[in-house]
Amino acid sequence: MYLIKGMPIRLLQGRTNELQTHLNADDQSKNGFWNTGKTFGPREGEEEKKILFYHPCEVEKNEKIRNVGLCEAIVQFTRTFCPTKPAKSLHTQKNRQFFHEPEESFWMVMVVRNPMIEKPNKDGKPPTIEYQEDEILDSVYGAVLQQCYSMYKLFNGTFIRTFEAGGVELLIQKLEKFFYRYIQTLHLQSCDLLDVFGGLSFFPLDKMTYLKIQSFVNRVEESLSLVKYTAFLYNDQLIWSGLEQDDMRILYKYLTTSLFPRHTEPELAGRDSPLRPEVTGNLLHYGRFLTGPANLKDPETKFRFPKIFVNTEDSYEELHLIVYKAMSAAVCFMINASVELTREFCEQLDALVGPQLTLLASDICEQYNINKRISGPEKEPQFKFIYFNHMNLAEKSTIHMRKTASVSLTSVHPDLIKILGDINSDFARVDADEEIIVKAMTDYWVVGKKSDQRELYVILNQKNANLIEVNDEVKRLCAAVQ
Amino acid sequence: MASDVHSKGVTWDTSNGNLTPVEHLPNSRSESPTPGLVEGTEPGAGQERAMFVHTQSFEDLTADVELTGSRLSEIEEVEEEKEEEQQQGGGGGTGETGGGAEGVEEPKQEVHAVVREKEEDHVFVLSEAGKPIYTRYGSEEALSTTMGVMMALVSFVEANKNVILSIHADGLRVVFLRKSPLVLVCVSRTGQSDSELWRELHYVYYQILSLLTLPQLQRVFQQRQSYDLRRLLSGSERVTAGLLRLLETDAGLMLNATMSLPLCGTTRNIVCTSLQAASSKNLVFSILLAGDRLVALIRKKEQHLHHTDLHLLSNLAASSSSFRQGEGWTPVCLPKFNASGFFHAHISYFEPASDLCLILVSTDREDFFNLSDCKQRFLERLKKRNAYQTLKEALHSPTYPVSQVGIPELWHFIYKSKSSGLYTSPELPVPYHTEEEQERLMDLYQYLHSRLHHLTRPLRSIYRCTNTENLLAWSTSGFELYLCFSPLATKALAMSAVTKLLKWIRKEEDRLFILNSLTY
Repeated sequence: MYLIKGMPIRLLQGRTNELQTHLNADDQSKNGFWNTGKTFGPREGEEEKKILFYHPCEVEKNEKIRNVGLCEAIVQFTRTFCPTKPAKSLHTQKNRQFFHEPEESFWMVMVVRNPMIEKPNKDGKPPTIEYQEDEILDSVYGAVLQQCYSMYKLFNGTFIRTFEAGGVELLIQKLEKFFYRYIQTLHLQSCDLLDVFGGLSFFPLDKMTYLKIQSFVNRVEESLSLVKYTAFLYNDQLIWSGLEQDDMRILYKYLTTSLFPRHTEPELAGRDSPLRPEVTGNLLHYGRFLTGPANLKDPETKFRFPKIFVNTEDSYEELHLIVYKAMSAAVCFMINASVELTREFCEQLDALVGPQLTLLASDICEQYNINKRISGPEKEPQFKFIYFNHMNLAEKSTIHMRKTASVSLTSVHPDLIKILGDINSDFARVDADEEIIVKAMTDYWVVGKKSDQRELYVILNQKNANLIEVNDEVKRLCAAVQ
Repeated sequence: MASDVHSKGVTWDTSNGNLTPVEHLPNSRSESPTPGLVEGTEPGAGQERAMFVHTQSFEDLTADVELTGSRLSEIEEVEEEKEEEQQQGGGGGTGETGGGAEGVEEPKQEVHAVVREKEEDHVFVLSEAGKPIYTRYGSEEALSTTMGVMMALVSFVEANKNVILSIHADGLRVVFLRKSPLVLVCVSRTGQSDSELWRELHYVYYQILSLLTLPQLQRVFQQRQSYDLRRLLSGSERVTAGLLRLLETDAGLMLNATMSLPLCGTTRNIVCTSLQAASSKNLVFSILLAGDRLVALIRKKEQHLHHTDLHLLSNLAASSSSFRQGEGWTPVCLPKFNASGFFHAHISYFEPASDLCLILVSTDREDFFNLSDCKQRFLERLKKRNAYQTLKEALHSPTYPVSQVGIPELWHFIYKSKSSGLYTSPELPVPYHTEEEQERLMDLYQYLHSRLHHLTRPLRSIYRCTNTENLLAWSTSGFELYLCFSPLATKALAMSAVTKLLKWIRKEEDRLFILNSLTY
């Protein structure tokens, strides 16, 4: 048995101005440790200033400087062979270090400890520790590091903008505030192929209901002209989004792994449980704000919403994020941050959206149940699969039972999921369409298919099947997924 | 035994066709090549004991060489005087004593131009003091700064009681191998896995050991840390270059196996027994090679040759033209057999223009004339029994076209019998006639191999379908099989091909493999 226990992250930068991040996790407490650093001019004795953030912060100063120095050396060394393609990871016996340069000359580094096996020794000697150097997949943790940056950027904007606005001090402050909390929510043990894709799960819907939702969105956007973008989700799955794909994928990640799970616990609690929020608004609808005011009636309520940054490549928009939910339906409204949101606006929104959304939610639920009944009772299928479409970022997994804030539960052996990751890395090396079918030592068949921007991975339980039967099974599945 | 074989969980369609067993085979050999074949009964398996040290695929490569007591007591332990190692024999030159390969000093060019442009793997060897020992391209002087940085990285990571393994960038890998007192580094753009690159570096390391032995290497650096090892290795550049080339083109080094020269059973028998008869007191191994193909191998009782050592020997013989002129006599360490002592090898080609090369390995450094006599006796016996001419003719067709197997869409394959440590493979067909394409195919095989033998997630089989070819690899306890089909092949065809191919190999095993492992 093993767990991935460690994870240092650093952020460093090139010649004139540098930033370095370092994230690590302590064995026992599982506190991640990060450091992010930034400096101007690599002057002797000023190395520490390069470090903008380092986790865990209690690491001794010289050690921070040494660790960050190694990252810089690796990056520089790799440049001598390939100036255009920077180093992405360093493998050592004890850990792997991942490098990411999200903005020019700002570097983030994440260190993930290799799993260990303790082998007991005779004669009361301390046990020998064996590191498993081949357990960690580069593609997965490289993607996790990139996601760290995307999440930071969603709520804080780019490093360079912050730096221009408030200098190193402001940047350091923002990094600390964000990553202190965020690192604790990273569950590196349960990261897998889905983190590489970072896709969106779409809610399957019939045309009629889809049109109803679209017309709802149009009506609201028309009545509330302040609303710039809208996104509609049901059951943690996306139905409609007005945002750019890349912005939506990180917002979706935030909603489904952080915001929604925080609010489901109270909903599931019993009627008399103290966890259950008091019925707020009026009894005509179930709508309520997940961000901003908890209770509109409360005169003390503040009308402050989280701010997010989108389209940072070009128009660089800062927006208020309003998330409003009725039953299983959730809508995100995004409004330009320069506008101040008032009690009147929130009441207007609540009155307009609440009843309609409640109705819509029960419509969708009903439709969904009808569809389920038509397709018949679900049998335990002979296979599990992950599907991802690069064009619309749609992903679908029957391997992951439920994604929660803490862990994504999977129903198959971790080694099989790692084999999926291996196949994915093989695909990533070539542009052309490919197919790979392997038989694991446990006799499970694992199939990967890449075709026309889409990827499908299947794990088959039919241990006695032969290659042809496996192929037929996958063909049937392909037809069903499309 | 045969029934036991068939009852194994059979996962691939196999029809137990009416394959007639080769006459003189004992009944214990399975008639039908089923997947459940037990090791030792697969097509091509040796009849008695194996002639090679049994190796799986990589694992044993990475194992450290043993220093604990020589397995063969007579091996001469290394002595201080290095000059004695290169004794002259007959009219022949010795190995590579400061030959032509030395001192091709390139002008001080822009360091990284050398490093960047090469498509092949670039290999560096340096000492723990950061001193350059070997570079595949460019000159050691021009690259000494780069090597200094490499050593700095290695020792920096070691300061934290950790070991640096590799650096990955898009399309580039730098792999480090620490073999105190040496550090070996490989920079690769070919997309090979870390384990494949470590294998290359291990080979380079063993190559160095084969010239020096481990104790001598250690002693040199104990006495002076900043010693310039190039002084002791000078002249060996061509051997190392040949070895690296071989690593890129020869599947045997990847598989830990050797290919034998296709030869009809009776001729091989004559050759083997003649070689067996030409023995001498201190002889440990007699190896007859045709290029990189093994024709016969006779060994001392209880002594086994390791593939790595055989590949090093055959590369040594091939890399020097001096052996072609006369009989060579050179000390050589077989690092996998025993890294602490020297053997003495008598290396000679039968005719300057022929590929037939005889290597006689002895424990006695004064044995040159004895071994020279062995060679004469072997040759005479061959000629007397009319086998020499047949052997020379066999050299004209050292391989066979894949069409002999009669499987449509099959372009190429590699079959390794695990128990005998031998493999067979047809000649490369039309799509792989350029060097570039051959290397690409080799890369594909290496990919399959590294996936099958992944350290923590090994696989039973892998089928990969691309635009340019369909590939199938399959590993059982008895054999490893790698097949390359045209892109038109179907999975059904691939599966029937496996059965058909195994039957064909069983039918031809007499010719393709060396079934008898003889001792003196």
